[in-house]
Amino acid sequence: MSAKVLLIDDDRDFRVSVKSLLESSSYEVAEADSGHAGLLKVLEYKPDVIVLDIMMESCTEGYGVTYALKYLDEYREFRGIPVFMVSSIQETPDERFPMSAEVEMIRPDRYLTKPLDIPRFLQLLEKAVASSVATT
Amino acid sequence: MSDPLIPEAVVVIDDDYAMRFSCGKILSKMGLRVQVFEDGTRGLEAVTAVKPGLVVVDLKMPGISGLEVISRVHQIDPQIILIVMTGYATIDTAVEAMKSGAYDFLPKPFSPDELRLIVNRGLERRRLAIESQRGEVDRALLKRTFVTFVSHQLRSPLAAIHQYLDVLLRLEEMGDSPARRREWIGRCLKRTEELQGLIADWLTLARVEGGTLLKERVEVDIKSTIVNILENYRPMAAAEDVALEASLPKEEIHVRGDRTCVSVVFDNLITNAIKYNRRGGKVTVSGGLSDGEIVVAVSDTGVGIPEKYRPFLFDEFFRIKEDGAKRTEGTGLGLHISKRIVSEMGGSIEVESQAGVGSTFRVHLPAWREPSDAEIGGWQ
Repeated sequence: MSAKVLLIDDDRDFRVSVKSLLESSSYEVAEADSGHAGLLKVLEYKPDVIVLDIMMESCTEGYGVTYALKYLDEYREFRGIPVFMVSSIQETPDERFPMSAEVEMIRPDRYLTKPLDIPRFLQLLEKAVASSVATT
Repeated sequence: MSDPLIPEAVVVIDDDYAMRFSCGKILSKMGLRVQVFEDGTRGLEAVTAVKPGLVVVDLKMPGISGLEVISRVHQIDPQIILIVMTGYATIDTAVEAMKSGAYDFLPKPFSPDELRLIVNRGLERRRLAIESQRGEVDRALLKRTFVTFVSHQLRSPLAAIHQYLDVLLRLEEMGDSPARRREWIGRCLKRTEELQGLIADWLTLARVEGGTLLKERVEVDIKSTIVNILENYRPMAAAEDVALEASLPKEEIHVRGDRTCVSVVFDNLITNAIKYNRRGGKVTVSGGLSDGEIVVAVSDTGVGIPEKYRPFLFDEFFRIKEDGAKRTEGTGLGLHISKRIVSEMGGSIEVESQAGVGSTFRVHLPAWREPSDAEIGGWQ
């Protein structure tokens, strides 16, 4: 059974290319074009892993999603889901957002810059899916 | 920092009891929180603890001198306003105090009004200093945010292009798909154009801010400028099912300015009119000359601009974020740039809008005049 990836990014082109990439690597992919739509999709699609753009309509829209997953009751089931945060900004979040609440949510191996380094991305994805399967 | 609701704290240091008493009374009647001390040491302790906005100190005291107090207060907080009272008023002492950092001096005896005046001025000065500092902090923050914003805007299309090409190479190793290749190459081209548009906008803004935008001052034909722009956008308008109409007068309308800039002004207005229109709608550009003034109006049949947004329309990056509003690409700088250029040319832009009907942007510019003999003679 293929692992399910949810892609949340307002850049349609990014979604198209990454979806093709993931499908060719035997993942099943669903998309959403905003944080809000993404959260609805999480409940409906029940992904195994999420790839999330940090800066969509607003500078911190991505964090709205991670916040919900971590703190809201209705997303309790997804609290441990691996979330890869992507951004075209090259700095790491703690350089850019010296706000501890957000930085807490970022693990260095889950923060990727665009364009994605494909081999590394696929490797990290595989590891993340494997470890989350192991814990469920 | 000072909260407008909390009264400002003031410390008074004078070895004379009567002086402490009357200063204390006058200043607390002004609504200030006053603490009085009879010597510099105790006064300095209080300054360290309370961090007042203002300190009034007598220059001649036993123990630590007034001048010493001034220098110590400065070390504690250079923004505290210092006012010295000079009993044996010699210019030298007062001047020395000022040189050491006192804001002003008050020769004894002084009237309550004189004290009030000087204290008010001192507090006002402090308020301004703090505000301008905050302004600088804000500006620095704004600049960093701005740089992040620009960098993100420019990097996003590049990242998308790179991603497409990288994935394409990889997938083609597994199998050919001409359809996908065509589509993706097409998208890369589109994003390249987007990037070029963004860079052009940013450069224009940089030039507007730097004052180097208007390069030439020649006679510019508005009619042909507009006709060219409309021609360029005919395909784009057709794709959006928007009709383009020009209603320009028979007579020539010329302005003095930079050809590129004049073009940018109307280019922005016309592209907006097309983008923010409805399907089956219309863009009308009309113009006329009256009384040495040229007026060009660009009208659309879009949803209109709500009243509450009108004051901000020409601000940098302003975009209307409403459910009905289209999510657009671009920098959000178009109107701002147009307005800046028009202002530099001695004109103005205004907007009229009706919900559900559409909007009209009107550009006023001084008409080109043949230079008079006096001007040709050298006076310009």
